[in-house]
Amino acid sequence: MERRITMIKWVIIFGIIYLGILVALALISRSKVKSVDDFMMGGFNIGYFLGFMTFAATLFSTFTLLGMPDFFRNHGVGAWIFLAVSDGVMIFMVLWFGYHLRKKAKEKKFRGMAGLLTDCYGNKWAGYIYFIGIFLFLVPYVSIQIRGISIFLDASFNHALPPWGWATLILFIMILYSETGGLKAIMYSDVFQGILLMTVVWIIAYTCVDNLNGVEQMFAEVKSINPELLSIPGPKGLFSVQFLLVSMIAIVMIPVTQPQISSRIVIMKNQFSMNRMAVAVGCFALLVILPTVAIGMYGAVKYPDHSTPDFLSQVLLFDQPGIIAAATMIGLIAAAISTSDSQIFAMSGELRSLLKGDEKKVLKTTKIGMVVFAVAALIFSLISSNQLALLARLSFTGTGLMAPMIILAILSKKKIGMTMVWVSAAAILVFIGSLLGALPSDVMGLRMDLLLFISLGLITVLTVVFGGGEKQSEVKEA
Amino acid sequence: MILYITMNKNKSLYWNLCIAGVVLVSILCFTPLVLPEGVYEPMLYGVPYSLWMGILVAMILVFLTYLGTKVHPGNGEEDHND
Repeated sequence: MERRITMIKWVIIFGIIYLGILVALALISRSKVKSVDDFMMGGFNIGYFLGFMTFAATLFSTFTLLGMPDFFRNHGVGAWIFLAVSDGVMIFMVLWFGYHLRKKAKEKKFRGMAGLLTDCYGNKWAGYIYFIGIFLFLVPYVSIQIRGISIFLDASFNHALPPWGWATLILFIMILYSETGGLKAIMYSDVFQGILLMTVVWIIAYTCVDNLNGVEQMFAEVKSINPELLSIPGPKGLFSVQFLLVSMIAIVMIPVTQPQISSRIVIMKNQFSMNRMAVAVGCFALLVILPTVAIGMYGAVKYPDHSTPDFLSQVLLFDQPGIIAAATMIGLIAAAISTSDSQIFAMSGELRSLLKGDEKKVLKTTKIGMVVFAVAALIFSLISSNQLALLARLSFTGTGLMAPMIILAILSKKKIGMTMVWVSAAAILVFIGSLLGALPSDVMGLRMDLLLFISLGLITVLTVVFGGGEKQSEVKEA
Repeated sequence: MILYITMNKNKSLYWNLCIAGVVLVSILCFTPLVLPEGVYEPMLYGVPYSLWMGILVAMILVFLTYLGTKVHPGNGEEDHND
């Protein structure tokens, strides 16, 4: 009881400090906004450090601190390959794709990926299909942030507020903050969140390892309880090679398909900054995922049969000193807010890139769009499951299906036919059909998502070879 | 001028080698060399095989990205006044 009171006391102190920082950052950013581009794109002038922190904080969110430990606890060490190795390949993709994207963005006056695709394909349906795709698959991603933190707060505060109450409160703060300060404000809060997340995750991991008398002893205990956690495919057989392969493709395509990431690549000051940012994000990824192994293994030893919310509240709060538990709670709220606002802001940016006319009117519509996306995410968060890591993967895979049509548009110098756009739309429908059970999830022993990736890859190659004009694309240079 | 062209040619070669390295490491990652099914030995300081091998692979990928930033053919196309 005394421990809980200490924790709540610290939560109030840290909470006030956090809100104070948010208000200050929002007002500072607002005072610097001189144009719509400043508000939506941070003035296209982001240096390496701010770029690195905002990229990392957008990528690593509540999903990292809540989803990954639970993933390690339930499915074992294969989770490292699922995320960390895939992230290693993904940062190289930033380097390769980022160069071409920035070139194209300069050439076409970038306002968002949807607008860029409309321009490259010469058909507004290219932009619409992309926008529908990101709406369908980013809303669940935003929702898992909101759901993750609201079920955690519900369990931690002994049901003081229902989960929907926490979710609404967080979304309200997020919308208010984003609409006041714009992208720069979001980025500044990302810096704060990134540092807090990294600090908290290492402290918790240290206490977990210390509690189990060191790394060697920790794995020895896991071995005695459930040795299947120490290898693939894990106790429930989740980490098959096919699953890991599709996950890697989906994660590697994040910089291509997810607007909150691709827009951050474009707004970097120059390529030099982008390159440094990519390497820094790679190091950050290793450093932030590594401690989640220890937290997950600790959970496998101490709380193997607990539900996800119970395990998380135990390991992140009740097994920690009050001050650390409070910092964790604020860190998680900060992470949920910073990732969700980046995604909702990016979706609004995509909406803006599809609109034409008076900039003031467009900005007003964009801001209304932001609220609509937030409400959609709130509704989905109330009905989604607690499988945070799997929901994140679903989002990555869904948006990943649009990668071939985007890469084709970015690399081609000439106007291209709409074949890839329609094929991508069909692939999204098939994928959704398989998720809903209307279509099989496996075809001749091949996972449906893997089959779709292979098919799209082949069709892209055929489009380039027989599409006319695309042969002169920069594919050769790349 | 000749030196500039040679340097650019070399950069292109090294860049392609980096790409080849990343592709190769990614493919190896899905072979029993990194992910043997149901095997957790040899352990390294108590860490199971696929995990320490996975950590090594991830570090190699970050290092290849770092090398990639040094030899990217597009380097120098934009000002870098950070």
